[in-house]
Order: sequence, then C-alpha cells, then structure tokens
Amino acid sequence: MATPQETGPDAPQETGARARHGAGARDALSATGVTVRDAGPGDAVAGVMPRWVALPESTEEVAALMRVSAGHDLAVVPAGGGTRLHWGTPPERCDLLIDTCCLNEILEHASGDLVVRVQAGVTMDALAEALAAQNQELALDVPLAGSTVGGTLATAAAGPRRLRYGTARDLLIGLTVVLADGTVARSGGKVVKNVAGYDLGKLFTGSYGTLGIITEAVFRLHPIPRARHWVTAVLPSAPPAALSAGPSTSPGAVAAALAASQAEPSAVELDWLAPAGTFTVSALVEGVAAESRAGAVRDLLAGAAEAVPDVTGGGEAPGWWGVTPGEDVLLELRVPPSGVDGALRAIAARGLPARVRGSLASAVLQIALPPESAGTEPTELAKLPEIPEIPQLAEVAEVAAFVSGLRGDVAPLGGRLTVLTAPPELARLVDLWGPVGALPLMRRVKERFDPDRRMSPGRMAGGI
Amino acid sequence: MDPELINDCVHCGFCLPSCPTYVLWGEEMDSPRGRIHLMKQHVEGTPVTDEMAGHFDACLGCMACVTACPSGVRYDRLIEQTRAVVEREHVREPADRALRELVFQLFPHPRRLRAMRVPLRLSAGLRRRIAPRLERVNPSLAAMADLAPDPVKRVRLPRRVEAVGRRRATVGMLTGCVQGEFFPQVNAATARVLAMEGCDVVIPPSQGCCGALSLHSGRPGQARRFARRTIAAFDRAGVDTIVVNAAGCGSTMKEYADLLDGVWAERAREIRTVDLAEYLAELGPVARRHPLPLTVAYHDACHLAHAQGVRSQPRELLTAIPDLELREIAESAICCGSAGTYNLFQPEAARELGDRKAERVLATGADLLVSANPGCTMQITSAIRRSGAAPIPVAHTAQVLDASIRGLGRVA
Amino acid sequence: MTETLDELARGLAGVLPPGAVITDPVRLRTYECDGLTHHRAVPGIVVLPESAEQIAAVVRLCNEYGVPFVARGAGTGLSGGALPRADGVLVVTAKMRRILQVDLADRRAVVEPGVTNLAITEAVREHGYYYAPDPSSQQVCTIGGNVAENSGGAHCLKYGFTVNHVLALEIVTPDGDIVTLDADDPGYDLLGAFVGSEGTLGITTKVTVRLSRAPETVTTLLAAFGSIEQGGQAVSAIIGAGVVPAAIEMMDALAIAAAEAAVACGYPAGAGAVLIVELDGPAAEVAHQFAEVERICRDNGAFELRTAAGPQERAAVWKGRRSAFAAVGRISPAYIVQDGVVPRTALPDVLASIDRLSAEYGIRVANVFHAGDGNLHPLVLFDDAEPGAEERAGLVSGRILDLCVEHGGSITGEHGVGVDKSRYMPKMFTDDDLDTMQLVRCAFDPRGLSNPGKVFPTPRLCGEVPGVRRGVHPLVESGRAEQF
Repeated sequence: MATPQETGPDAPQETGARARHGAGARDALSATGVTVRDAGPGDAVAGVMPRWVALPESTEEVAALMRVSAGHDLAVVPAGGGTRLHWGTPPERCDLLIDTCCLNEILEHASGDLVVRVQAGVTMDALAEALAAQNQELALDVPLAGSTVGGTLATAAAGPRRLRYGTARDLLIGLTVVLADGTVARSGGKVVKNVAGYDLGKLFTGSYGTLGIITEAVFRLHPIPRARHWVTAVLPSAPPAALSAGPSTSPGAVAAALAASQAEPSAVELDWLAPAGTFTVSALVEGVAAESRAGAVRDLLAGAAEAVPDVTGGGEAPGWWGVTPGEDVLLELRVPPSGVDGALRAIAARGLPARVRGSLASAVLQIALPPESAGTEPTELAKLPEIPEIPQLAEVAEVAAFVSGLRGDVAPLGGRLTVLTAPPELARLVDLWGPVGALPLMRRVKERFDPDRRMSPGRMAGGI
Repeated sequence: MDPELINDCVHCGFCLPSCPTYVLWGEEMDSPRGRIHLMKQHVEGTPVTDEMAGHFDACLGCMACVTACPSGVRYDRLIEQTRAVVEREHVREPADRALRELVFQLFPHPRRLRAMRVPLRLSAGLRRRIAPRLERVNPSLAAMADLAPDPVKRVRLPRRVEAVGRRRATVGMLTGCVQGEFFPQVNAATARVLAMEGCDVVIPPSQGCCGALSLHSGRPGQARRFARRTIAAFDRAGVDTIVVNAAGCGSTMKEYADLLDGVWAERAREIRTVDLAEYLAELGPVARRHPLPLTVAYHDACHLAHAQGVRSQPRELLTAIPDLELREIAESAICCGSAGTYNLFQPEAARELGDRKAERVLATGADLLVSANPGCTMQITSAIRRSGAAPIPVAHTAQVLDASIRGLGRVA
Repeated sequence: MTETLDELARGLAGVLPPGAVITDPVRLRTYECDGLTHHRAVPGIVVLPESAEQIAAVVRLCNEYGVPFVARGAGTGLSGGALPRADGVLVVTAKMRRILQVDLADRRAVVEPGVTNLAITEAVREHGYYYAPDPSSQQVCTIGGNVAENSGGAHCLKYGFTVNHVLALEIVTPDGDIVTLDADDPGYDLLGAFVGSEGTLGITTKVTVRLSRAPETVTTLLAAFGSIEQGGQAVSAIIGAGVVPAAIEMMDALAIAAAEAAVACGYPAGAGAVLIVELDGPAAEVAHQFAEVERICRDNGAFELRTAAGPQERAAVWKGRRSAFAAVGRISPAYIVQDGVVPRTALPDVLASIDRLSAEYGIRVANVFHAGDGNLHPLVLFDDAEPGAEERAGLVSGRILDLCVEHGGSITGEHGVGVDKSRYMPKMFTDDDLDTMQLVRCAFDPRGLSNPGKVFPTPRLCGEVPGVRRGVHPLVESGRAEQF
C-alpha cells in the first residue's frame, strides 16, 4: 500500500514550483471574486507563514478557492478565530490561509427541533448568545474565547461538561465540507436520529484541517438548565502523600464517587498546581432541582475533604472553571478513569511545576508548562503574542523529558499524552502526538481525500 | 408441515436467544427460525437430508421459542408435524434406530420401566465407575445409566383419597410413567396436598402413559393410542378434571383435542387437564402453611413455563410458605437439556445444557431445588453430580407444600 | 459452487475449527436473509469463526481469491445489511459471545461482537449499571451488529446511539489486518467513522462499551389522546418546555388495535393516539418534570393518564409498544416496516400527508414512532393475496421516505441503508456527497470486498477519483503504490 508520509515533495522542488506559479495563482485566486490579501506576520500557522489570505463568504466561494488551489498546487490551511492556529504540528507548506471569519451566519435555528445550522466562522460566543435568546444552548464548553465553530470542530475541543453531553462529535449532526479539489460534500442532516451513509462529521472532527475545509455545521441543542450550582472543595494535603494514603480522599476516588452519584453532576473538574499544590475539585449540577442535588454533592465532597473542610458552593463557577491552564506548552492527558490517581502521581513524581486542569470524571486533563503566574485567573487568551515567548534551552530539554517520561509513565495505565501546543524548539525534541493506533488507516484516508497533500499537510498525528 | 404456520414466521430472530441449541452452538440451522426455514425448504420440495433431520432431532422441543415469539408462530405444532415427517421419510442409521426402538418400547410402559429398575439398582458409586465404559460403547446408554435416580421404595397409591375437612372438589390424578416409577413420593405428596386442600382425589389404576414421549418424538400414532386409553381411564373413573404433576404430561394432555379426531376429540374436550400448581393457585389455600426455613431455587420446566404458561403460580405457592426464601435461577427460560427423551438421543448437547443449568442452579446458593418435572429433576441432579459439587436436594413443588402443610419443618 | 469457492472452502477449513465451514446447500439456505426477508441470496460459503485471528485469516483468504465477504451477527437487521453474496463468504460472529471484561471502575466492558446487546446490561445490572442503547431487538441483536448499524433505540432521545457509547473497537480491516480504533487515540476519529458503516469498512471483532449508571428514578407515563394531532402537539410542548425525557413514543389507533389483539396491552379504550413518556434521572428532577409533562398532556387534550412506577407496571406500559411491529401481523396478512425521520416540528404535517397517501392508494398505514426524535415507523399494511396490493404498499412506503426527505429528514433513523434503501440515497445526497463518503470506503477497502453492494447505490471503483484530478499520482508513477 501507499505510504503517504513519503509523498511530500522535498523542499527545493517546492520552492521552484512556488516561484513558477506564484503570480498566476494569486491572479486566479482573485478572479474567484473572493477577497484575497497578502499574508502578514499575524497569519502564521504554527510558525509557518502563508503567502495569501482569502476571506470567503460562502461554501461556494470556498469551493472556488479550492479549485484554483488545486489547479495551482497551492497548500491550504483553514483558520477560524486563530485561537488554536499554533496548535498541532507546523504545516509542511502553506500557500493560502482560508480565513472563515466571513462565514459568520447562523443559517437556521429550528428551536422547536432543538437544532441549529451555522456557518463555520461563527464564533462559539456569538452562537451561544443567539441560542440563549430561545433559552437553548450548544452544550459544548469553549475554553478559548473567540474560537469559531469550525475551529472547535477541527480541533475536537471540548470542556467540562463532556461528562454529561459528550464532545463536539457527539453534538454534531450534519456537516458541509469542501475537499481539496473543490468538491462540496455534505453528510448527516438536520435531524438527530439519522444513520444514512457514513458519518463524515466524526471523521472531520479533530482532523486539524487535513481532510478539507469545514464550512457549515448542524448541531443538536439542549434547553438551558433552569439552574446551575457548583460545589468546590479542596482535598486534603499535597501529593504524593494524599495519592497513596487514603484512597477515598484521592481525586480519582472522589471523581469516581461523583460520577457514580445519583446527583448526576454535569461536570467534575480538577485544578492542581503540580507537583505539591492541593487538589481543588469542583462539580457542576444542572437542572430544576440543582440546588438539592448540589447538596448531595456537597455531602459527598465534605466526606472526602474532611481534613480541610473548605467546601463552598453556589451559583458561581470558580475562576479557573473551563479555562485552558496555559498556552506556552499545553499537553493533554487521557487515561481510563481508574488511572487518574496513578497519572497524577506520575506528574507529581516528575517534579516540574505544572498547572493541571480538566475533566476529572472523564479523565481528560490538560497540563500547562510552565504554569501561569497569575494562578487561577484566566488571561486574555484571544490575543496571542505574535512571537511566542521562547523558554530557555535548558528548560526546553527539561520539558521534553517531562513529556516523554510522563508518556511512558501513563502508558501502562492505558493513558495517552499528546502535546497540543509547544514552541518550535520543544516540538523538535519530542513527538507531539505520541503513538497513534491506526496510523496506516489514517494515512490511507488522508491519501484518498487529499492525494496531493495540499490540505494542512503535516499538521496532524503521524505527519498527516 | 403446514405452510400457513410456516409463513407466520417473519424471520425476526427473537427466538434465537431462547433456543438452547442456538445458545450452545450459535448456528442458524439449530435455531427455531432456522428450523422453520428448513421446514419451508422441505415443503418447497427439498427432501429430508441427513443434515436436515439432524437439525430437527437436535431440537429439544422445549417451546421456549413459542414464548419468545412476538408473532405467535406455533412452533410447537410445526416441530411435532416435522418429527412425524422425519420418522416417516427419513431412514436413520441402524444403531440410532435400535436405540429409539428400545426407548419407545421401554419408557411409556410402566411395567417394563419397573423391570429396568433392577439393573439400575446399583450403588451410585458403581454406576459412576461403569459410566466411562458405557460412554465408549454408547453415550446414550451411559446417559441413561447416569440419569437414573437412586431407586426408592415403591408407593402403592389407593384408588381414591378422601378430602380432609370440607370437600371442595373431586379431581383425577395422573400418576405418569417416569414420575410413578422413579418418583413415587411426589405422587404421594400430590395426593396428600390435594386432599388437605379439600379435594377428593381419584387415581384410576388402569391409567398408563399419556403419550407425551411418543408425541414429542414424531410417533403420533402411538401417542394417539395412549391418549385414547388415558381419556377412557379417567372417563370410567367419573372425573372431568385431571390434575397432573409432571409438566411434560400436562402439556400433551392439554392438546389431546388437537391430537385426536372425531368422537375422541369430543371426549378430550370434556375433560379438563390442569397442572397441580395452576390448580392449587386457582383453588386458593385452606390448609395452614407451617414455616419452612429454606432458601429455594425454582426451576422452570419448559413444558410448564413455555408450553403451559405456568410460571407465576408455583412461585406464588412457594413464597406463601412462611420463612421460605425464593431465589431465581439465571437463564431460567433456557432448557436444562432433559426435554423428554432428548438426553437419551442427543446426550452430548443434553450434557452441555445440563452442566450450564447446574452451574446456574449452584450459583443461587439455595438449600433446595424445586422442579416440577421428573425429567428435569433427573437431568439436573446428574449434572450436579458430574460437576463434583455437593449435591443439592431436589424436590417437587408438591413435596414442599406437603412438608409445609404437614408441619414437617423440612422437605423429606 | 464455483471452482474458486470450492478451493476457498478448502483453504478456510484449514484456518478454522472443525465444522466451522458450511457448504451444505440445505444449511447454507438458512442464512439467505436477515430480518428483512424480501431480499434473499444463498451465501457461497458460511464460516463460524471463534476469534479475531480466525476472522483475519478468513479475510486474507478472501483477498487471495478476490472473493467478497459479508459479516453477520444474529441476522436481525431490517435493511438487508447482512444480505449474503452468492459469490462470497458470510462471516457469522454468533459464536464469539464472551464478555471478556467488566470494569466498573472505568465504567466500561469489553465484549466479543456476538454478545447480545441485553447480555451486557444483564452482566452489570446487579451493580447498578447498564448499557444505554436499547434497540427493540436488544435481547437478540448482537453488539457487532449494533456497531455496524449504529443502533439506537427508544431511549436514544436522551442517551444517544451506539457511537456515543463505544470507546474502542478491534476490527479486521478488509485486507485482513487486526487494528484497534480507540476514542482516546490522537488523529482521525476512525472509530466514529466505522460505527454505522454497515460492515463496509471491515469486521468488528472486539467492542469496548461505556457502562452507564442506572438512573435513580424511572417514571413512565401513558397518556391517551383523542387524535394523533393532539399527541403531536403534546410532544412539541414537552420539548419546548425544556424537558428532555428518556423516551417519547407514540402509537396511533391502528397500531393500538394491533397491539391489543396481540398482547392485550389494555391501553385506554377509544384513544386516537397514545403517548408513552419516560422520565429518568435524579428523583428530584424527575418529580418536577413529571408534573410538567402531566400538565402539558392534560392541556393538550389527554383524556386519560396512567403512571407506572415499578418495573412491572412499566413493563406493562411498554408491552404494547414493544410488540407493535410483530403485532400488526395479527391485523394484516402482510406489511412493510418503514423507517424514516422528520424534524419533530414537521410531525403533524407529515402524518397528515401519510393519511392522504393511505387514502389515495387504499392502503392502511399504522403509525408507531419515536416521537421525541421524529423517527417514524409507519407499518404499511397489505394483503399479499390481493393482486397489486404489494406494489401499491411499496409505492406508499417509498412516498413516505420522499416526505421525510422533503421535510429535511432522513431515509433511515435506525434500520440502516443496507441493500434495501441504497436506491434512496440519491434522494438525500448528491453524487459528490456519496463520492466523498466512498473515499472513506476506498481508504479502508480499496478492492471493495467488504459487504459490497450495500449503502451506496452505485459503488465507485476506487481507482476513479471524483472532481479535479490531474495526472498520475507520483506514488503510482514510481511504482510504490497501486490504484485499484
């Protein structure tokens, strides 16, 4: 079979091709009638500068751009709010950035059907605001302000309430994409229950723009719960003592008890400053009877937090709730729920200061290195520094050792560690994605969708 | 094989998990749906092949699929018709033929069965020692030797047992061939319980086999002969209700009117056959129940639960006994593998099913297993013996009720 | 049997246990269809493997001989998804039915594909857990088949489908490799793409499912309405009020009559429609929602309300609903079960249109549906002895699907496309849409050997690439890859 990772033309040829086709391509792009501008420093994709930026306003315009790109062998990267554009591996090449900011229409909100159809460039905030007018919501937390529907799907981002509602893939019911050759393809539809044909929505969710460009999405919605209550507790003492001593007060045990609780929390989150900080656990309960159920959660947490009875509750989320713990080096750790304590122990044992935050009950945690100095206060994340702060080389080596060491530690627990974002120095030292189970199949999928490797080439796991 | 009945099957597959042979082998041909498909093939002109006959023979006739079927397919009728066709049209291997002859000349005839008990009057230990040798010679004979319960003293029942206290009813009682010969104490208990609940119990001595074994094995001619004799015996005794304590017999007797024609069908319709538990539940208790501090696992005999739909009544009767705790057996709807003569003709499958049942019975941790069918009792007892586990006593519902009403404090 | 199949059968006997290769024609015929009987094909060979390795060996042999293969679980599908190929091998997973691992700490179980849906729940029920997707055939359908069809069930309104409850799969790819697809793996969500691919992307050999906590309270309400319109309005009002029930089911008068004839379910007499609303979750939430649902039903004209609290009462309420499909056999000699979806708000319109179709063609239609998610199951009744009736019923059935598509719905909510509905796919999708889906197919199965002829109306040869395609791919040119 094909081994597509070898198919990328090598760099010298590439430069030659670009020089030859440069001017013609630009003219052809402009001829589509779509606004095209030259790229600036703010348009870099994980450090790689595109040549042009196009601002299409419809699926058809995206298709026209893609047809031109196919004709001129242009490598294309789609971009939404740019909040995660520095995530993932840098693209092998990038000629055209397709900015979906102008695909920003909410096309249809069928509130009676609890369904919404939106263009990919609509920001999650704008969508939430529009839906709230009908007392509905897309039950997908957005940890990064300013991110768009398309970007959220492409990176498969999700927040605390994944425990109750699942992630983007579980809420997406229909998708429109434009493929590398300009083909417009739809899958799914406008109804929740639908098993006609393959579910391309699942395939494109988390595909980092490597299969095509998401231009429209249809989601199932939920009514906004009548009430929300958070209950927050600080668990006793710092690790590793807490983790090995009383199993009933460890974060993993508390999460298991909450997940099994008939109070049915929508989310159970952890905030922890490794290696020695205390564990803060917060649970969200939603519904008409949220208050009484929060009482049950409080009782449960109070039992665990006995030594430090710092159990507070109320209608307000803690400041760190659903906020990405950091942006310099951001890792994602997934482990079966029973492996949470083991994973936290492994993080502590590595000794580096790190902010660990995320879904305790679903056992999906983000780890930020170095931790934010501001502690639990969210920073203005929408505005990213144009030049990422580069850690000292020694630090980079340390972080790299942390990543590969922790990856090895969690593997026996059935855990996986990926690097969501890292400065280029670090990216060179470690494998960002870690082992990928079905890589040969993934490569074959990529090969079929994008045989010429023009869609965000190299952005995803395994060099896809 | 009635094509109308075959066409009632919509091929939905809901019968699959209820079928013991499908549970064992997972093959379509050995499921009710698959067998109906084979019947259809035959109706459409395919002759009965060895393979086809093998799949029909493998059916236990437990009727669990009849219970499971949402479309009301009469698989019971279909398999009965099919077995007759197989017997008529299919030439079996000589050894197979000989064994079938032996069984049909033996089991439906109490006198012959009685004679058979002499060689079986070996100690359990001796039987186990000769079993492996028998297994090599003929697995069916080994199964037969393995199954036979320890012999008990014969009980001669009177022709009539008078009601205790006010007489509420007069009923006939079927003694059954296997029940009568191997478990006479069950018949004694049945008669006592009925009497203590206010029934005059008539036990005609001339009754013989009800025909169930023959009918379930594709010998409707023999079955009809037995049926007519049974009807005549109870007619002469002047009863119109026959209480039956063996599930297999009861289910066949309830179908007499369909089995017979003309005047015999008429006579069959005038007699009501009723299962003991069904009858007692309907009658309502008058005799006082004394405590029996026991945990009891109740086994659903297929011919009671599936063929007659009697599930709740025995459970109600048992739970009404003070201090008695009832436990359910997992997979209770799956046959134990006894199925009339099945354990004699299909010993390997029967053994697997018996082992499966024994495992689940033992898992209940009950002190006593209650089974309302002699075949099941023999089958499960021998499977438990084979497993090497401590034997669990087995009793009929009648014996438990008898012990409670008489205040024995334990089941004899 | 052809010479190729003959040879293949000998090869298969070499890699499978004794008795696991069926070639006897009488036996083969019993596998000629699944739960949908009007498509039939006697398989060339049937195999009954007992492990992933054996399935991989079977698939590799099929590749060697260029013979197609079809996977089958319990054979209960209603779209002919497991329809065998006369020129191919039917791979039956019914013998692979071990529950390999139950891990309550991780809230998951690992099972073989032939394990039935209900068996998973039965294995964990005593611990207070269950497996959420509950297709109405749950006591017989296998988890492997559920994965292939992305099965739902009455309770998927609140809890989602198979794809939302499968955490990992072990599959045998169409070229015979054993591969694990894990939700936690980085990269493409191949797990999500595989679930619901109807056996066209490979054969499932192991499934890791999520176990859900049994809810604290379950309450079931039966509401009887004078008309189906009133029932439909009640459904809209319940959803509009922000209540997400575990299930909302509706039956019309004809369906009620059938259920009554079959199981004497005892639904309120004179009802034009009954609604079954099941609420579950924390007791405090359910109590509140129950009051709200009750009020809404009354406001919308419910003339009788019954509440089932215990499991037995609940079973009694569900009995009529669950028996409905098979029960129509008692009021009609033959019938077609249709499966289509419309947006919930379009229900009244679509039901009225179905009424008109019914009158126009002189064909009775009984309606049973998952009202909460707009999933219709019209039962199109006809007498197969009456000349032309079957054709008219077929037309009505097809027109109902047209209605679904016209209203922005789907041609199948849970039964799958299979062989039965592949011809309707172009009503819902453009050629480009279908070609794009087939890119996935070609990635997994370039030779088109895994369950060919299903899902897609016109299977595309994987050598052809749709749209703009220039020249020969460098890999092909250099001889490092080939296109089939």
